[in-house]
Amino acid sequence: MASRQEFTVTGEYVYNRASPTRWIVSHFLRYKRYVLAYMLTAILANILINSFIALLTGAAFDAVSRDDASGRSVLLRITLSLLGVVLVGVLMDLGARLSSEIMGKRIARDARNELYLSLLGKSQTFHNRQRVGDVMARASNDMTSLSDMIVPGFDIIFDSFLSIVVVVTSIAFLNVQLLLAPLLFVVAFLFALRRYSRKLNPVSDAMRAQFGTTNAVLNEAVAGIEVVKATAQEAQEQRKFGENAMRYRDYFVKSGQIQGRYLPTLLVAFALAGAFLHALFLVTQHQISIGTLVAYMGLMTILRYPTYISIWTFSLVQLGIAGAERILKLMKEETELDENESGYRAEMRGAIVFEHVTFSYGNTPVLKDLSFHAEPGQTVAIVGQTGAGKSSLTKLVNRIYDVDAGSVRIDGIDVRDWNLDALRSQISTIEQDIFLFSRSISENIAYGLGQKADEAAIKQAAQDAQAHKFIQGFKDGYETVIGERGVTLSGGQRQRIAIARALLTDPRFLILDDSTSAIDSATEDEIQQAIRRVLQGRTTLLITHRISQIRWADKILFLRKGELIDEGTHDELMARCEAYRRIFSHYEPPTAVQEKVASGPLSKEGVL
Amino acid sequence: MGFFMDGLDAEAYDRSYKDSQLVKRIISYFRPRLRLMLTVAVLVVLGSLLDAAFPILIARSIDMLQSARAFQIALLLVAFILASGALSWVFNLFRQWFSARAVGDVVLQLRRDTFNAVMSRDMSFFDEFSSGKIVSRVTSDTDKFATVVTLTLNLLSQILLFFLIAGILLVRNWHLALLALSIMPAIVLVALGFRRLARSSTQRSQRSLARVNANVQEVVSGITVAKNFRQEQNMYDEFKKVNEQSYHVNLRAGYLYNGIFPVLIALANIGTTIVIYFGGQDVFSHNISAGDWFLFLQSIGLLWLPLTSIASFWSQFQLGLAASERVFALLDAEPRVRQIDKQPVTHLSGKIDFRDVYFSYDDRQTVLVDFNFTIQAGETVALVGHTGAGKSSLGKLVARFYEFQGGQLLIDGRDIRTFDLHDYHRHLGVVPQVPFLFSGTIADNIRYARPEASDEEVATIAQQIGSGDWLESLPDGLQTLVGEEGKALSMGQRQLVALARVLLQNPSIIILDEATASVDPLTEAQIQEGLDTLLKGRSAIIIAHRLSTIRHADRIIVLDRGRIVEEGSHEALMTQGGHYAQLYNTYFRHQSPDYKPGEGFVPVLIPARNESEGM
Repeated sequence: MASRQEFTVTGEYVYNRASPTRWIVSHFLRYKRYVLAYMLTAILANILINSFIALLTGAAFDAVSRDDASGRSVLLRITLSLLGVVLVGVLMDLGARLSSEIMGKRIARDARNELYLSLLGKSQTFHNRQRVGDVMARASNDMTSLSDMIVPGFDIIFDSFLSIVVVVTSIAFLNVQLLLAPLLFVVAFLFALRRYSRKLNPVSDAMRAQFGTTNAVLNEAVAGIEVVKATAQEAQEQRKFGENAMRYRDYFVKSGQIQGRYLPTLLVAFALAGAFLHALFLVTQHQISIGTLVAYMGLMTILRYPTYISIWTFSLVQLGIAGAERILKLMKEETELDENESGYRAEMRGAIVFEHVTFSYGNTPVLKDLSFHAEPGQTVAIVGQTGAGKSSLTKLVNRIYDVDAGSVRIDGIDVRDWNLDALRSQISTIEQDIFLFSRSISENIAYGLGQKADEAAIKQAAQDAQAHKFIQGFKDGYETVIGERGVTLSGGQRQRIAIARALLTDPRFLILDDSTSAIDSATEDEIQQAIRRVLQGRTTLLITHRISQIRWADKILFLRKGELIDEGTHDELMARCEAYRRIFSHYEPPTAVQEKVASGPLSKEGVL
Repeated sequence: MGFFMDGLDAEAYDRSYKDSQLVKRIISYFRPRLRLMLTVAVLVVLGSLLDAAFPILIARSIDMLQSARAFQIALLLVAFILASGALSWVFNLFRQWFSARAVGDVVLQLRRDTFNAVMSRDMSFFDEFSSGKIVSRVTSDTDKFATVVTLTLNLLSQILLFFLIAGILLVRNWHLALLALSIMPAIVLVALGFRRLARSSTQRSQRSLARVNANVQEVVSGITVAKNFRQEQNMYDEFKKVNEQSYHVNLRAGYLYNGIFPVLIALANIGTTIVIYFGGQDVFSHNISAGDWFLFLQSIGLLWLPLTSIASFWSQFQLGLAASERVFALLDAEPRVRQIDKQPVTHLSGKIDFRDVYFSYDDRQTVLVDFNFTIQAGETVALVGHTGAGKSSLGKLVARFYEFQGGQLLIDGRDIRTFDLHDYHRHLGVVPQVPFLFSGTIADNIRYARPEASDEEVATIAQQIGSGDWLESLPDGLQTLVGEEGKALSMGQRQLVALARVLLQNPSIIILDEATASVDPLTEAQIQEGLDTLLKGRSAIIIAHRLSTIRHADRIIVLDRGRIVEEGSHEALMTQGGHYAQLYNTYFRHQSPDYKPGEGFVPVLIPARNESEGM
């Protein structure tokens, strides 16, 4: 099979991943046209709506003050221009909002594609080490932060900034002296804003965190209500909840206090009063007309709006950049395993040898000086407490991890000398959590072969996996769609489909992590038969909860804290290993009745 | 100020409480803070007055300039403007502070009350409502409850402002005032129209977004499998398609939300234009002064945003009331388990007597009829039977989680309904089917029933479960953090902790609902050993799913449709070849270590009945 070390797509757009800001900017640059359109329309809209209207209003005042015949016609002209300005203004405004909307959503979409592509390009080693579902779920929150940062975040910030620039410029255009009040205000406003957000942000964060904690306490009490009631600990829970709710209330009040002291509102009042005073003075000095004063006041009141909105948008930007950083980190992660292009390739026989294998995960030692071997076709059951190293052992075989000391050899060749693709294509893993696609059953079974699997082979695999009967029980049979939009399968049914899938690809080596158990014996019969079938003719490393599977295995490895305490067949271990005997000690030997019927030719109902 | 596009995603809710009832009750919660609320109301009124004063003062000043041109008077007016601006800010400060305190206190009280109410509900309540619904009633519905009041206060301030200014305008020149106000209905209609559009669009986009997210989630979780089977290209194509869908859905929703402000601003500006033209005409005809004209202009700027809030008030208010109703429904719910007395329970030996007990769950399914049964002190009884046979009901009745409708249930000869439930529960140990752990350390969980227990006691108990070697596989021993709901531990380890917890509690009666989930064999052995330790010398009702447990019980009771059909030891019942043998073949046969698929059947001598339900 053709292998791909890294999955790439032709014509893929390349972004700059050096830092979060550069990355975001490179995404923006992809839509230069929209960025330009946005800026143009936003500037125009701002000028028209914020500046022209105020100026025209002032001109109208002057026209009216003249109190002569020409005044009326000037008024009419001004009115018509105003209507035009409003109309064009709203079109520009809509254009600006919509283009920023498109940009924001497109960037979010592109970032998602980029992340997905990068994840596909990562090695299987990377993926088997983490739950991609969790990774993507986290990334989707960060994607939302990213998109919110652009719209409404950047949009509002740019708009506010533009408003201030346009207003100040217009005032300068009216009369340079009038700049006194607005400039003072802008400076004071920026200071006050910084001080305010410095005070409010920690409180807001604490409030949000406390809300989360309170919710968690509540959630726990409700989810565990049976335990709470049974242990008569309602008072304890009430106390816990009460304390947390009170802390939240304190933050809430504190936040309200800080919000009440929002200085910019006061500054606006002062600025407006001061501006008015200044303008009045200039009017009495005959330096400006009343119309100019009117226009001036109109422009000043526009400064009110940026003051209210900016707080919230700053935090949006902060969150967006933090999100971008996390996404970038994920994309840039690499795995150190080499793919060994020139390695050994051959058809596996399936003999495996572990020799003095030592393995640590980070700083935690997992396996110590482990040695064993298995012949082709043997089933090796691995038994041990949680954390004893069972799963890690299996992950050394298909090189999800590499050993720190010692060696793992398949057919006599060290796995690190095998070509990675040749190695992995002949080793199959059936996991604890079986993943099936929301597609038809036959598509799921044939997944590995793409379009090349034929119906007969699929049916045969299903039959061997004891799945054929229940599949036929569905209305659409093999075409039944499973998953969210279709039928929900039980754990045992999913397992059998995964087994059918593995049977179809027919690997030489199987790693089976089987941690389900059936509720009733009839289903168990089916599942065990399916497992037996899939174990046939393959070397299998088996981690299971079913003691009968352990009992009938060819070889049993007993692990304790990463060391091999004992190995052998069931009878051998029962004879010499006390820890192993413990597993079976609560199951007394079969009764006389059972012995009689153990191999008798009775029907399923057992009616005599 | 309530943003007028809030609350679009709330679901419809059938109301049974009357609006007036709810409002009365809401007010009663605010009554302890009446003074605070009145102060806030006064501040609201004063604030509105000052806000209205601002444009009036400016208009006056302009007129002063026009006529008397007295700079000093203008200065005075400016001083007034300054003072009113500063005062308005101060009033707002106090208003925010006081209302935050009042609202904070009310919501806290309400949350405490609802939490206590939840804690005192009996178990059937938790079967009926999902935990998510319950949690949202305590946290988010209580929040929305408070918004009813803040919404009303805001409405008050906005209506006051509106009428003040409209009144002044009408007095000055009713004809121009009407023109100026003519744009207002348009603004209200547009705001409401957008709300309605956005509401249906939000609902649609939420649904499609949920679908798209599910798709994305799935396509992403399948990456491992895709790489396993070399299907990367297909996965990528599929993902692109789904991502594109999501883009379009998001975009459409965004258009609506982003389109509204430009439109509203444009409407306000058209209003300004109308005032400029007609007002200007009026100034020419000396009907109004320039200052008044300025006042008219300013009023539009002041009023258009509050108008949108007024427009959306009613529907937001209704949502708040709906939330309040959910909260009160929770507080008012009738408990089904009622004690007739509160006698103390100091010591129990553990004799349990069912006498002619009649129990029907939920008034629909009758579970037990004329049920008679006795468990001696210290006896371990295993219950087996098909689903619905009544096994878990027996345990739940003894635990007093459900109420029975007839007959008597005696513990040590005393009527269970006369107990102080708190006391009684202390003598009862319950191990549910799925062990639940609280986030914290293992030691915290073990001592949950007796928080005052010392570290030595906890360690001793932990050692007594399965010879204590389950602790050595834990990274930090007893101080290991178990994570949310115990997720950091394996299923088997969680069960061991649950056993230790009950052991520390040292109850006289144990109700154990055995887990059906599979556990690794070593831990299974430890659990079985732990059970042995736990059950010694205590009465126990075990809903058994494990062969080993059944074998070690003093007595096995076979239930069928609420009646005891067989009774005895494992060996005796197997030889009988009756209902028990049939249950064995169906549920326990595969648990034997010598099991091979399709083998190990026990002969059944009685004709098989058609039971197809599981256990």
